[in-house]
Amino acid sequence: MFKRILFATSATDACDHAARVAFDIAQRYNVHIDVFHVLGIPTRGFSQIVVDVTTGDEVTLDDNYRDLVKEEIRTYYDHQIEKTENWSIDVAIGLPHREILRIARLMKPDIIVMGGNTGASGSYAHKKIVTGSTFQRVAKAARCPVLVINRPAASFWGGFSNVVFATDFSGASDTAFDVSFKLARKLNCEFHIFHALDITRTQLNNFHTQDFIEDQIRKASQQLRSKYISQMGTFKQYTMEVWEGIPFVEIVKYAREKHADLIVMAHNTRKTDDDDTSIGSVAEQVILRANCPVISINRSVGKQ
Amino acid sequence: MKKKILIIDDDPAVVDYLTTLFEDNGYAACSAMSAHAGFELAQKERPDLITLDLELPDEWGPRFYRKLSSDKELKNTPVIVISGLSGNKYAVSKAVASLPKPFDRDELLKIVKENID
Repeated sequence: MFKRILFATSATDACDHAARVAFDIAQRYNVHIDVFHVLGIPTRGFSQIVVDVTTGDEVTLDDNYRDLVKEEIRTYYDHQIEKTENWSIDVAIGLPHREILRIARLMKPDIIVMGGNTGASGSYAHKKIVTGSTFQRVAKAARCPVLVINRPAASFWGGFSNVVFATDFSGASDTAFDVSFKLARKLNCEFHIFHALDITRTQLNNFHTQDFIEDQIRKASQQLRSKYISQMGTFKQYTMEVWEGIPFVEIVKYAREKHADLIVMAHNTRKTDDDDTSIGSVAEQVILRANCPVISINRSVGKQ
Repeated sequence: MKKKILIIDDDPAVVDYLTTLFEDNGYAACSAMSAHAGFELAQKERPDLITLDLELPDEWGPRFYRKLSSDKELKNTPVIVISGLSGNKYAVSKAVASLPKPFDRDELLKIVKENID
């Protein structure tokens, strides 16, 4: 499964729930965890004067200051680190998303773990169009799966025994299937394959007939069988369902119904990987609302 | 016969406090310090209500609840989540109530009364 986790953190309580999940995975499955913190942004160019992102102070960066910040992080996560065998702490300066992607290219983690944006939690979340820009940029460009824990309630599960794979039948969903199925098989999980049939694209008062919807459900079920179940060999611990409705609502409901410990899904599947693309709104909303961690996978995952 | 409450919490001070509180108010109480021990005790004692901490040494509270809700005899047992973790009220969606730590004893007794008396 995972051999190396990159846990990108602000080392504040905004990342506590992500830390719970990251350290839990590291301890439970004996995985190496790299705790990574971007401590500040240079005031100009390659200046050694940086604005500390935690305190807001301008500081001169030298080895002493780096060591001091590392020690602070070590203290902050002390009770979790003491139960973890393989860990390291690294700090960097720069724009957070660039530094996270840079260290990810260097360390080649199997997964990046991040918290959602602090401003996107609680009652504000449903109004927010996108999640935190750091997460968004990392998830868009990372070459490995990105696991996001946005709600504190999504961090109370511990271990994986029910994995939900939500598909929209896109190319990136194929990669999400590979990741989720390997994980489910390796950890002997119940594997739940799900497609949400979008019935929201109709004009008001001009709904599809029920016959049409049920035909679409039947068609999607056949597609699930031919596309995914045919690849699963002798693995029988699976369920497969297609529900009609608003996709993100149905995925969140389905995950709750199945007591999911993890949702795996693709994002941004209909757009190219240029800088302007955002995460698909379905993945975005699932990340904001899910009651369990969500792994999002972009189309470049697994490609060199 | 006295109604029975199972307390699942790994903090001995909380267990002592809740045991005394419930017994002083006419309930019988039993307790477990882990999810595993709590589930075994629930099967043995068939409590009328369970108070559940979220962070337990062997397992998270929601996972205990998942197990509880798949047991035919125990699935309808009311559960009150008592935890100091933020977001605790969303952790077990079918819990009858979620209280933070420290909690208000009168509020807890009121919830207990509403659910098992």
